[in-house]
Amino acid sequence: MELVSFPLSTMIFLPGLAGLVLLLLPSRWIALHRWVSFLVSLATLALALTVLSRFDPNVGDFQLTESAPWLPSLGISYRVEVDGLSLLLVLLTALLQPVVFLSSWGSIQDKVKGYLVSMLVLETGVLGAFLATDLFLFYVFWELMLIPMYFIIGVWGGERRVYAAVKFVLFTLAGSLLMLVAILYMAFQYKAQTGTYSFAYADWLAVQLPMAEGFWGSPQMLAFAAFALAFAIKVPVWPLHTWLPDAHTEAPTGGSIILAGILLKLGTYGLLRFNRALFPEAWERSRSFFMILAVVAIIYGALVSWAQKDMKRLVAFSSVSHMGFIILGMFAGGVVATQGALLQMVNHGLSTGALFLLVGVLYDRRHTRMIEDYGGLAAVMPLYTGTFLLATLASVGLPGLNGFVGEFLILLGTYQSQPVAAAIGATGVILGAVYMLSLVQRVFWNPLSHEENLNLPDISWRELTSFAPLAVLMVWIGVYPTTFLSLSEKAVQKLLGG
Amino acid sequence: MALWLESIVPELILIGVGALLVLGDAFARRWRPAFPWITLAGVLAALGSRWLVPAEGLVWEGVLAVDSLGRFVDSYILAAAALALLMADPFLARTQSRFGEFYGLLLWAAAGAMAMAKANHLLVVFVGLELLSIALYVLNAFLRDNILSLEAGWKYLVVGGFSSGLFLFGAALLYGATGTLYLPALLTAPVTDGFLMPMALALLASALAFKLAVFPFHAWAPDVYQGSPTPVTAFLSVVPKGAALVVLARLIAAASPQVLAPRWTAVLAGLAVGSMVLGNLAALAQRDLKRMLAYSGIAHMGYALVGLVAYGAEGVTGVLVYLAAYTFMNMAAFAAVAAFSESEEEPHLVNDLAGQGWERPVVAFALSLSMFALAGIPPTIGFVGKFLVFRAAVNAHMVWLAVVGVLASLVSVFYYVRVVYYLYMKPLPKRKPAFAEPWPIKLLSAACVVAIVVLGVFPQTLVRLAQEATGLLGR
Repeated sequence: MELVSFPLSTMIFLPGLAGLVLLLLPSRWIALHRWVSFLVSLATLALALTVLSRFDPNVGDFQLTESAPWLPSLGISYRVEVDGLSLLLVLLTALLQPVVFLSSWGSIQDKVKGYLVSMLVLETGVLGAFLATDLFLFYVFWELMLIPMYFIIGVWGGERRVYAAVKFVLFTLAGSLLMLVAILYMAFQYKAQTGTYSFAYADWLAVQLPMAEGFWGSPQMLAFAAFALAFAIKVPVWPLHTWLPDAHTEAPTGGSIILAGILLKLGTYGLLRFNRALFPEAWERSRSFFMILAVVAIIYGALVSWAQKDMKRLVAFSSVSHMGFIILGMFAGGVVATQGALLQMVNHGLSTGALFLLVGVLYDRRHTRMIEDYGGLAAVMPLYTGTFLLATLASVGLPGLNGFVGEFLILLGTYQSQPVAAAIGATGVILGAVYMLSLVQRVFWNPLSHEENLNLPDISWRELTSFAPLAVLMVWIGVYPTTFLSLSEKAVQKLLGG
Repeated sequence: MALWLESIVPELILIGVGALLVLGDAFARRWRPAFPWITLAGVLAALGSRWLVPAEGLVWEGVLAVDSLGRFVDSYILAAAALALLMADPFLARTQSRFGEFYGLLLWAAAGAMAMAKANHLLVVFVGLELLSIALYVLNAFLRDNILSLEAGWKYLVVGGFSSGLFLFGAALLYGATGTLYLPALLTAPVTDGFLMPMALALLASALAFKLAVFPFHAWAPDVYQGSPTPVTAFLSVVPKGAALVVLARLIAAASPQVLAPRWTAVLAGLAVGSMVLGNLAALAQRDLKRMLAYSGIAHMGYALVGLVAYGAEGVTGVLVYLAAYTFMNMAAFAAVAAFSESEEEPHLVNDLAGQGWERPVVAFALSLSMFALAGIPPTIGFVGKFLVFRAAVNAHMVWLAVVGVLASLVSVFYYVRVVYYLYMKPLPKRKPAFAEPWPIKLLSAACVVAIVVLGVFPQTLVRLAQEATGLLGR
């Protein structure tokens, strides 16, 4: 008898239900709320590790299936299962969540309960979206993330928070509503081709959507486009990225970590899981289109980052560039590039999450994000400088740290099919080093010109604890990525081969 | 010959209790504080008896269809009446106007709507329509000292009278074309004149469209919504619309397909698209919550019409679920409007909600949840409703209609989310208005929250009931 009989469902719903319980408790018990949500996120992490221990990496199929009828008359069921594709991202989510709660001790002082409840509900939405294999269920979880994120940005964010929050909601919904129509259309096609209703992902793999010669107009292309739009906005693929700098910059530290670390990955995950598998011909047809967008995003994101004066905005734009790499790897095709893209999703979650966390640490002390307000911090906060440097180097892809492995695999895989794209993409790596290192230089090495910065306390134990797991994984992936690559290898092979 | 009295027990209870209260107001004034609870008991008794008495199909020579469709709509109307009563009590207590007439009229209006929804004969539809409308004319103008309320009453009276006229004229033409007003007989009746029948259907549909407040018959809605007492607005925003939609569904089921397709479908699609687009765009510009909800109501009837355009069992199932969803969402929203306004004379501005989210947690939570539900965001009942009607449209080969629908609801998100923004993201003004949060409103909010979420997460029972109900329509 195993300890937890339904690990996936328990993991998905534990945070959300805990959030609902907290919602009913008085707001003034702040310490209770903080500790309960932190412990719940640790329990979720433990459940995720349980899932990992029961996961068999030698099988490419879905595993640990848990299902129940939901709306049987419409062919809708509750169905969650895990494969190598989703496992890594679920682990990343479960890992980042405790980090977020730890960081909230410093960054959230007002209306604490609401923030924690939003975060817990958000975690349920994210985990559910990664694990759902019924498209109706997936859509429900996908949209469930929207409301808590709206509150997180809009209530606890920076000065232009409301603008950022509304922009985030409208952009996200614009994509996902059209995806809803495409989901309905797929269900209709399934019924037309088989005679029964179903929203199950596994069933839909068999649906053949008509594909005409032209680029547009055929049902498969349109359905592909509707799905791709929803995911491309989430990633975000250039030129749909404009919500990102606002949302990431204005969100509170925890919100930025979740946004950059996890929510963006839902976009790339969705492209790989749904667009690639459900619409193979449309995927082939649009490969070069997306690779061009990806290359533009890499260069554009890097150049814009270079020009930023606001640290958070700089990191936000760097995400545009990094997500470009992931898109490039996914659309380049081949097991190597796809594996690289998948690993890079985790890497970006770790390093950008860490960067937002560390920028938040500084913001909690000085309440400014402007680069020009700092300088020479290395003398005042030596330990902090070390952590920031580690995150920076991981982000720019120093060999031995995680970013290098992901980018290398992506460029290697891309070079085999599209050498030009790989060459331009590689320039992005150099530019990445330029803007990140210039940030480090301006914040940490330049002369200590601001008196306010003379007495800044160094990073605290709590902050260091929240950074530590990220640092360990950065090194681990950098030195021995096989641990992680082997988890997803079979699933990726099946996705590409099947 | 049996009288089938048991089949109309709920209506008898409503009318009887209503009469009792009107008389009670004259002869037993001391009992006034108990009136709302007597009314509520009457509504609940009617609801219970509707489910206890078996649904037996056609009664009273076939003019009333006491079937599972009738039972579904009756439950919906009675639930809306009960929620409106909970909302009305604090309001009436505050304005010292717990008059028996208010409750009597509300009950009679509900009985009229129930008769309409079950009618299988156009004259019975008309009787129900008039009972509903006349009771509502008075209720709209219930605040005799408030000019806006009087305006609302007058406007609804004029528009209502006009639409009743259209309805009768349409019924007369239909009789001329087919020789019957009995809906099931229409399908088999020989159509002698190719002009009369479409004309008759157009007139009947226009009359119902007035009650539904769909584009281009919507112009009365914002003023009437704004001026009427908020509980009456809440009742008005769901009950007549539900009844009218069901009559429309029965009418479409009864009319012969040759008459309907393709012109009728095109016209209905036009109404749906017009309502969705105009309702949502106009709602963007509103500063008054009740006017905003009026325009949002126009848009929502557009979504519901999408289900009727698609028709078939799926479409009407979608419409029924949509109606149930709309009731709970709208009731929660209007309950908050009632709680957040100092007096009925003042405008109900969105700005007045600033910062109230943290001060009045229960009502504000219900209001924001209903806003997200109206916007169609899962896991709420609002999403299930939209999902079903758009699904019906896609399955009826009208993907374009679903696309228009989702784009319109994207627009709507902007103004729904604005309400949430004022509630939680705006600071509380220095002189904060003393808003009351009376317990009936809290109870109502909590009930709606539970319904919105539980039915949103576990819609199976509701969907099954709706499917059973639409099975009767045959197509």
